[in-house]
Amino acid sequence: MIIYHKYMYSFVTKRNIFKQNFKAMQSRSIIHIDLDAFFVACERLLDSSLNGKPVLVGGTSGRGVVAACSYEARAYGIHSAMPMRMAQQLCPDAIVIKGNAGIYSKYSDAVTEIIKEQSPLYEKSSIDEFYIDISGMDRFHGCYKWAKELRSTIIRETGLPISFGLSTNKTVAKVSTNEAKPNNYIEVCKGEEKPFLAPLSIKKIPMVGDQTYKTLQGMGIEHIHTIQEMPVELMDRLLGKNGISIWKKAQGLDHTPVIPYNERKSISSSITFERDTIDVRKLKDILSTMAEKLAFYLRNGKKLTSCVTVTVRYSDFDTRSRQVRVPYTSCDHTLIEKVMSLFDQLYQRRVLVRLVGVRYSHLVEGAYQINLFEDTEEIINLYQAMDKIRNRFGQNAVRRVVTMDTRGIGQMSNPFNGLPPVIPAHRRA
Amino acid sequence: MKFIVSSSLLSKKLQVIAGVLNTSNTLPILDDFLFEVKKNKLTISASDLETTMTTKVDIESKDSGSIAIPARLLLDTLKTFPEQPLTFLIDNDNQGIQISSDYGKYKLSGHSSDEFPKIPTIDDGEKLDLSAELLARALSKTIFATGNDELRPVMNGVLCEFSTDDITFVATDAHKLVRYRRSDAKVETGASFIIPKKPLSLLKNALPEDETDISVSIQYNDSNAFFTLDGSNLVCRLIDGKYPNYDAVIPKENQNRLSVDRQAFLNCVKRVSIFSNKTTHQVRLKVSGSELQVSAEDLDFANEAVERLTCQYDGEDMEIGFNSRFLSEMLSNLDSDEIILELSAPNKAGLLSQAPGSAVDGEHLLMLVMPVMLND
Repeated sequence: MIIYHKYMYSFVTKRNIFKQNFKAMQSRSIIHIDLDAFFVACERLLDSSLNGKPVLVGGTSGRGVVAACSYEARAYGIHSAMPMRMAQQLCPDAIVIKGNAGIYSKYSDAVTEIIKEQSPLYEKSSIDEFYIDISGMDRFHGCYKWAKELRSTIIRETGLPISFGLSTNKTVAKVSTNEAKPNNYIEVCKGEEKPFLAPLSIKKIPMVGDQTYKTLQGMGIEHIHTIQEMPVELMDRLLGKNGISIWKKAQGLDHTPVIPYNERKSISSSITFERDTIDVRKLKDILSTMAEKLAFYLRNGKKLTSCVTVTVRYSDFDTRSRQVRVPYTSCDHTLIEKVMSLFDQLYQRRVLVRLVGVRYSHLVEGAYQINLFEDTEEIINLYQAMDKIRNRFGQNAVRRVVTMDTRGIGQMSNPFNGLPPVIPAHRRA
Repeated sequence: MKFIVSSSLLSKKLQVIAGVLNTSNTLPILDDFLFEVKKNKLTISASDLETTMTTKVDIESKDSGSIAIPARLLLDTLKTFPEQPLTFLIDNDNQGIQISSDYGKYKLSGHSSDEFPKIPTIDDGEKLDLSAELLARALSKTIFATGNDELRPVMNGVLCEFSTDDITFVATDAHKLVRYRRSDAKVETGASFIIPKKPLSLLKNALPEDETDISVSIQYNDSNAFFTLDGSNLVCRLIDGKYPNYDAVIPKENQNRLSVDRQAFLNCVKRVSIFSNKTTHQVRLKVSGSELQVSAEDLDFANEAVERLTCQYDGEDMEIGFNSRFLSEMLSNLDSDEIILELSAPNKAGLLSQAPGSAVDGEHLLMLVMPVMLND
């Protein structure tokens, strides 16, 4: 279900959405905008000496991975999501930068601001990607011309390199952007979607990840045209529902609308340890820290959760998670207790642990309903006082004693502001 | 075995006890009514193991015996008959039942009455009498506030406390609480037990609405309670456990006192809550001077509502959030024209009561509602 939000632009009324659906049957014009090597580009704006050199942004510690790399670095065979160690072996001269999510968000916001001002309907699908629906604009400006103008405005005002693809739907627009890169643009006109996709590798279809790629490759399917010629039933039998969806995308069909508001369905936090650990006390302290911090975000965002999930990944990558439904709550003590009991149920193997994580989902709008017998006045007042201190002096200004030793778990700004989370490219599904 | 009974009388009596039947039973025999015939008297029972209801019907019969008859089939058949005598002919050997009406014959097969669970009896328990009117009123004020949480079974029932000074009924689900006390009724020996909500609702429906002089006799021991009225009776298992200490959580002193027209407040809450979140139903009350502002919003759909009411208010300005469901349930279960809402702080319980002078003599009704934790 699509939920429309208060902060959407006023013209996106239900009627307009119907119109949009109607248009879906006719012809749409969708632009996909992508900032090239976004994190690197931001670093280069701050330090011009990085220009023209291989630059890597990502975790610098032993377990770090590459979040973004400059095109110079890509020439060495480096790609995002590659372990940092391996990247450094491939290109020992590369400059490694730890990265700063705050700065990237700021640049991303600047780009959003321009797009918001210029475009009738846009969707920010991640920190460096946007979809814009400019259906019907052809008559007045010419879509391609309008998109080129928007691109030069963004480059002029922010100095960030940018690529775009213009086509009749989101999938083809995204694929064409990737083809246009770096710092270029492309238009795939109506009727040309299928021939455009045909010669490309099946890897280029969004949704085809490593696993699916291997499955399809194992059957000798290498290029999109093979899927285009396959009957849809075969894909269904092969990959189930996803298969049908991939088949449609391969045909250049995609009716998903451009949705201007990004609704948070869950909030989560996880940590990969520098070194795998078996220190149960430390694991529990870290889980408490996460549970507490996420509960604070819930209260601040006026949300309640009714599903708690805990994930444990052992050193052999065996990943287990377990969830439990709870009555709607945003209270530390109930949530920490649930997280602890889930962890106790989960942590069965006496093996080193690589990662732990907590997720709250099934969120609803609302404030915590105080319980007559279980909540004392003191505890409610304590939560409110702690939240006040945190909002004024920062999220780590006041903490539980058990969480004191754990280092701060990555901070978010308000996770319920309708914007996509700041997740680097290599961690996107 | 053979007996003749009036169709409408039988139907009426069966309707009363049919509420006991569950839609899905583990024991097939629990889908049946137990018919016991003895000297022109028919006793019918329905049971779900926890609760058993029994009622008596006058019939014409020379025999005596018993049989279990499938309830759904019988109820559906009876519904279609206008008033007329029905003849039941029961073959005790193969549990075959033949019903004859003015229109024709209907055959169905029953079960042996031995399979039907034994109905508990009380010989040694304490006994007391209450007026049906009082009991009906007490139940209608309290049942709605009981809980539904299987993890806390004591809250799924109503606490009945009978003492030498007064009698008290309490229900709570940990978010709201109702205490119904009558100082005009008392008993000789004190007692306290928790009755599950299902038999209480059944009892409430079985109580006559207008006749005031009927009394219900209650008999109880450690595990069961027995209610007898007007030819029918109900046995139920009591909830075993310790009821939370409700007196400790009822605030003694709530300084901020708001008095408002009940119907106006109820209508206002109902209207505004349509605009609240569909899952949490939260509304916000803001009191200042002699104005009560009720507001709600649902950010997901950009819905918003604000209403203002005039009220009498004696206290500090306050903003407090409540689940609108609780408020409207409570307001519709109060009867007075004017109600009193006593508050102390946005994080503490609010107390709802009827304006003084409007209650029945000797009746003390108190409703407590916990707020939601507003964070601003």
